[in-house]
Amino acid sequence: MNWTEGLSTYRDDIYTCNRTRCGFCREECPVYRVKGYETYSCRGKMLVARGLMEGLLEPSKEMAEMLERCLLCGYCQARCALRNMDIITVMRQSMETKGFAARTHRENVDKIMKEGRLFEAQVLTKKKGKTAVFIGCLYRSKPKELSTIFSVLEKLDMDIGFGEESCCSYVIEATGFTKEFEEAKARCQKNLEKEKSNGMLTFCPTCTITLKEKYELPVQHAILAVHQRLKEPQIAKRIKPLKLRATYHDPCHLGRMLGIFEEPREILKQLGVEIIEMEHNRYFSTCCGGGGGLRAVDDKLSIDISKNRVLDAARTGTEMIVTVCPTCESTLLRASGRVMNQINKFIDVQSLWDLLDKSMNS
Amino acid sequence: MTENVVQKVFDELRRVLGDRTTQSLMHRMAYSRDWSPRQKNATDFPDVVVIPKTTEEMVRIGEIAYRYEIPIIPFGGGTGMGGGIAAWKGGIMVETKGMNQVLEIDEENMTATVQTGITIWELNEILSGKGLWFPHQPESKRSVTIGASIGCDNDSTFGLRYGKIKDYLTNAVIVTGRAEAVRVGQRKVNFSSTGYKLLDLLVGSEGTLGVVTEATVRVLPIPATRQIRGYFLRSLNEAAKGLERILSAGITVESAHINCRHRLHFYTHTYRQKFGREPHVPEWAEVILFLSFSGDEEIVDFTVERAGQILVQKYHSQPIEEKELVEGWWDSKHRLEFIPFKQKWPDSQRQKKFGSADLGLPIGRLDEGYRRYLEIAKKWDQEILGMTVYNESPNKVTASISFAVFVDDSNEESVRKFYQYVKEMSEMAIQLEGTMSSYIGDGDRLGGFNQLEHGIGLEYMRRIKEVFDPKNIMNPGKKFESRWIT
Repeated sequence: MNWTEGLSTYRDDIYTCNRTRCGFCREECPVYRVKGYETYSCRGKMLVARGLMEGLLEPSKEMAEMLERCLLCGYCQARCALRNMDIITVMRQSMETKGFAARTHRENVDKIMKEGRLFEAQVLTKKKGKTAVFIGCLYRSKPKELSTIFSVLEKLDMDIGFGEESCCSYVIEATGFTKEFEEAKARCQKNLEKEKSNGMLTFCPTCTITLKEKYELPVQHAILAVHQRLKEPQIAKRIKPLKLRATYHDPCHLGRMLGIFEEPREILKQLGVEIIEMEHNRYFSTCCGGGGGLRAVDDKLSIDISKNRVLDAARTGTEMIVTVCPTCESTLLRASGRVMNQINKFIDVQSLWDLLDKSMNS
Repeated sequence: MTENVVQKVFDELRRVLGDRTTQSLMHRMAYSRDWSPRQKNATDFPDVVVIPKTTEEMVRIGEIAYRYEIPIIPFGGGTGMGGGIAAWKGGIMVETKGMNQVLEIDEENMTATVQTGITIWELNEILSGKGLWFPHQPESKRSVTIGASIGCDNDSTFGLRYGKIKDYLTNAVIVTGRAEAVRVGQRKVNFSSTGYKLLDLLVGSEGTLGVVTEATVRVLPIPATRQIRGYFLRSLNEAAKGLERILSAGITVESAHINCRHRLHFYTHTYRQKFGREPHVPEWAEVILFLSFSGDEEIVDFTVERAGQILVQKYHSQPIEEKELVEGWWDSKHRLEFIPFKQKWPDSQRQKKFGSADLGLPIGRLDEGYRRYLEIAKKWDQEILGMTVYNESPNKVTASISFAVFVDDSNEESVRKFYQYVKEMSEMAIQLEGTMSSYIGDGDRLGGFNQLEHGIGLEYMRRIKEVFDPKNIMNPGKKFESRWIT
């Protein structure tokens, strides 16, 4: 199916948005908040989609750049029953087919295809254990964060094992490289042949959603397993309460897309953390600025979006954001340093894994 | 507009606004329509889109437009139903939402001064942190701006107690068609008996006098509690009389929506779909009246009870038993806790377009209006969605009515039939001593034809327009001209 046919599949959805224009999706779109043109909001994109479908508009470098400035965070999808994210992905595919995709995206795709990973892996070891886990190439490039997770799982008496992995390739699909994604998917699936029936735990929300929904593997984010373990009295008594106040940032893939909202919050409460919610939370949380491949093409915009999210957190009066995603942690921390002068305080960003590690006795 | 002129205008705007100026077709496409009924593949492309951030920048834009005699179209929420933002004469589309700052919240004098591109939702989010709210709340409040509310004089869920935006405005800044920024109104008070009431002129002016960039509005303390109720009645007129009696008893009611039997079926159908059971609806029921009350708990308890007694004992009404059915009304009108297009029938616009004739009628002619609506909609092949009577004036029964239909927007001919329907409904409103439009405005549909309502008054309006906008660059093609109804 070529891209025009692909877009026509969504004809009714596109016209429905165009004729209605309710704008429920617009104001809190993190990209629109910074860029200001309707075009960057979902309802603006749906008019552009119609333009493409009817031949009023042609794919172009400018259009590719506009579409690449979408986080695919799913906020608009949460506000609407139309298939907005699928439509935006098809539009991105059409830009790639016409050769307008960003060079950095092309390079990243080539790297994943060649090396099986997007990020420079520091941790390549294999380990035998009872519970299979999928680490993901981002965590493999972050030995400090990864060792914290390992530490927590050990304190919970969880014996994990892992083997060879290749990148889940989310970013290949998200940036519109359909053909390459099918190849990368086949390779990743081959590595995970054994887990088809056994299931495995994952650490990265993006890997989780990709393995679960695109590969249809029985994976589960590790934080759910941790949540279960902490219900056991002999495990729970190992916790030393932290007595902190913090706000919790829902990663888009973990929260809105996988529906994991309450478990991290319940863990935080168990750790003695008082949660002060941001205005946009749970299903209607807004992105940290690191989604959809944005950092690769417009780092400034990504930082501006992250700053807005840190400012959302600052408005709660707390001085700490807790989250549980390697992308959110690094993007929010980076922005936090940059808004210090504006708000006269530093909003710390902590991983839930860090707090678990700190609060539990070995 | 020749390409040469547009290019010169673009270049000059670019010097003032930098990246906040574009003439790319892609961006212009995103500003090519609003919510008004038109053919589904219709487009009106502006020549340029700009995003000013301040009144001063808007003045600079005005100067350029004045020099080149190019239209300016202010774009707010983009949810209008009258084609108010349709750039059918080309021109500079001003994306006003770049002007979205709160300039001052004066808690002592209970006012908020804002740039007019802020949405009503956002303003209320900010005010709520101080225990305050801004009760002018149209159903489009997630998206609609203060400026668009002034320009369109749109409706408000809380109109029966608090009125509409004119009841809150104390002053505003307008950048006129002469490219001058003029502050009109009276600082932080709601009234003045000196001079002419230029502030009132802005309300409903639809950008034809200029672009409103700043406004000061009165704000109020958030009420402690709220209760909502629904009642079945036998006729629209009886519902209006019942409401009149409630108000004359000294009871304050925030919202009162009177719905015809078609709308009644909408609410009962939604309930059935959602909860899988049949609501208790008396056979005689022709009308649903929904009410909301707010204030301190004991006062609300008392007024809810007394209002119910009046309706049941004197107007043979029956309260709606199913709480969820009443909640469904409030979710759709105030909380906006629904996902657009999730429901399949009848409010979804997946196949056809929602359209409405928005008439104001005298309160004793509701049943007659309903009967005529059914006839006129049938005559023009419009699928009937239903009639809702909104109350938009503080503490008195009034009838701002949505006569809604589903418009077949698959071709121009069927859209034209919808506007024939609007035309005949408008004529009916004048015959019944009402008004052609009570919350949508003239837009690109009633202009010129509205002489039927205003007579020679329309000529005086034209002269007023000339004072503000001598070159007719401010949103031309609206109010004095129509491309749908002649």
